[in-house]
Amino acid sequence: MKRKFLNQLTPYYFLLPSLILMSVFIYLPVVENFYYSLFRWSAIDTTLNYIGFENYTRIFTDDLVGLSLFNNTLYAVISVIFQVFIALVLAAMLEAHLVRPFFGTLFRNILFLPSVLAISVVGVTWQLIYRPDTGLINQVLRAVGLDTLTRTWLGEEGTAIYSIIAVSQWQWVGYCMILFIVAIQAIPEELFESARIDGANAVQQFFRITVPLVRETTLVMTTITVIGAFKVFDIIWVMTAGGPNHASEVLGNYLYRVAFRNDEMGYAAALATLLFVITFLLTFIQLWLGRTGKEN
Amino acid sequence: MIKNQFYVISLLVILSMILVACSGGDAGGTSESSGGSESEAVTLKFFHKWPEPEHMEFYEFAVQEYEKNHPNVTIEMEAVADEPYKDKIRVLMAANEVPDVYFSWAGEFSWKFARAGQALDITDAVMNTDWKDQVILSAVEPYKLDGKVYGVPMRINAKFMVYNKAMFEEYGISEPATWDEFLTACSTLKENGVVPLAFGDEFPWAASHYVGDFNAKLVGGDVRSADYLLTAPAEKLFTDPGYVEGLARFQTLVTAGCFNEGPNGISHSSARSSFIAGKAGMIYIELEEFVTVADGMGQDAFGFFQFPSGSGGEGDQKLLTGAPDGFMISASTEHPEEAMDFLKFITGPEMGKEYVKRLGIPSAAVGAVNDETALPIVVKGVESINTASGMALWLDTDINIKIVEVYLPGMQAILNGTKTPEELMQEVHDAAVQAQSELSQ
Repeated sequence: MKRKFLNQLTPYYFLLPSLILMSVFIYLPVVENFYYSLFRWSAIDTTLNYIGFENYTRIFTDDLVGLSLFNNTLYAVISVIFQVFIALVLAAMLEAHLVRPFFGTLFRNILFLPSVLAISVVGVTWQLIYRPDTGLINQVLRAVGLDTLTRTWLGEEGTAIYSIIAVSQWQWVGYCMILFIVAIQAIPEELFESARIDGANAVQQFFRITVPLVRETTLVMTTITVIGAFKVFDIIWVMTAGGPNHASEVLGNYLYRVAFRNDEMGYAAALATLLFVITFLLTFIQLWLGRTGKEN
Repeated sequence: MIKNQFYVISLLVILSMILVACSGGDAGGTSESSGGSESEAVTLKFFHKWPEPEHMEFYEFAVQEYEKNHPNVTIEMEAVADEPYKDKIRVLMAANEVPDVYFSWAGEFSWKFARAGQALDITDAVMNTDWKDQVILSAVEPYKLDGKVYGVPMRINAKFMVYNKAMFEEYGISEPATWDEFLTACSTLKENGVVPLAFGDEFPWAASHYVGDFNAKLVGGDVRSADYLLTAPAEKLFTDPGYVEGLARFQTLVTAGCFNEGPNGISHSSARSSFIAGKAGMIYIELEEFVTVADGMGQDAFGFFQFPSGSGGEGDQKLLTGAPDGFMISASTEHPEEAMDFLKFITGPEMGKEYVKRLGIPSAAVGAVNDETALPIVVKGVESINTASGMALWLDTDINIKIVEVYLPGMQAILNGTKTPEELMQEVHDAAVQAQSELSQ
């Protein structure tokens, strides 16, 4: 009896250190954040004025929240197309049995390279590439006579967010591709070999063997990409800081601005709760999908 | 027995866990040791916005000089750049870790600290001692709220239209004195294939310097200050036609082709580089940037004039857009005497001269800028500031932040032609009404 109780309790003692750290640094701040979102207070004058759920009702009437969420969704959709589907196709191409021995390593490294660069370096470099007068893109367009297509890529409301999303794809496609390559390499070579003997061409091999067998990785990559798209902050802050005229605002960036520029800490806390709910739901979906993946 | 022991231990552990969690909340606020006597070791925290190496060299020198004469004082200095400073100072305020001596822009930015009781009232120390004789008093004005002094200026600064002398000579342009002449100068430059006016508005404070100047000269002084201070009746806030006219003139600069292509996609510093490289005829820059331009193209290659933005307007045409930059002292400092003494030292004439010599930027100390310490063109700039009828402070630090958040991004939309001046002023009016109602709560 005693021994049984001891055995049951022991694991929790091992869990305690991390449990304490988690509570102090993660769970407690989440609760505190919610508490603070019920007040109107600023960074400079820290008196708390209780206003109930006013900050939350304000979220629904704030156009910039809608715009930010739209941009986040756009970011997520485009990122999934590039960092999941196109990365998978690239991985399959580099792993094709005629390509791998000759160019596999070379292209793998070239495509992977951008993901090791610091975000601020990438942001500043692309700012130069996007420059309206001396930037590479506009110069190339002018050189081939497509003057009408030149834009102030980061300075126009219509192009700013797409220009930033493009940079993010450039940076991360190679990284996702590497993860898919690892998954593809785990597929037994015999499957491809026998398919080839049966006369399956490359496209058939891709859809019938590669895609089904990397399903787990695809699921994980999709959810990580989507969650990442909702949490994005750094690349946008570096490149446009949400401008021009809020056109490239995303939730993370708007939240920061509300907190540290507009001095509305309470409203920022409410926005943080919204962001938390969104990412929490997405994580939940990821866990749920991951479970069904195992059952198959 | 063993079971009981484990019971007790696990209870203890859980209790200690709760204790740890709780004490996390108030560990920050309880470190108030008593202020010491004169000879006791004193540590002052000093926070400013000039991390650039040449600036840091000066501040490190000043701190060392001060510490040499006051062996009991240690100064911990920290600096972050202009844009991040706006965030970081707020974070420090929220965390109750206000530095003893800290930088603040003049006007609304500093008043916000004063109203929240975060800035020490130093009226007595400054106005009733010899301190008042060593700073340019007009530069102290924007740090005053309700007649009390909360800050002391370190340097003075104003915005001027700088031009490429060789280009103006070649195309027969003289320094424009009216808005129409300015537009003519633009079109002459444009006809000759030169970008008339280099402009980088990636971060919209750059646009706010133009618009602030238009406002100052197109809107009557009393109306403008009532709007900026939110003391005007709610329905009147920012409704003067001068504001719309200002934005319309700003838009004219785009439609008339004065600016380079896509200002919203270019940073101010790269616009300045293109002026220095001789790719543009004019640029609107601050006096403190003159030394950079002089380094790049030679001090005789450029001249300056006051931007004739407001011809025909209601406002005072002799105003200059600009402001002093200075320091404030935390109201919760444990060592007010030492903090004031250090502030007096660093803003004084001795350090002022050193500042001008090293950086070429005009100090706010009396007599610090002269032919020995500064470039002739900088001395001329300071003379212009002294003869101006007053300063129109930087728009982005002079009005309520909620209005700034609507007004400044809106200027980017004006540049792109996606918003009209009337639409933007309507939004600014709405934001101002909102801000006013929150202030009165």
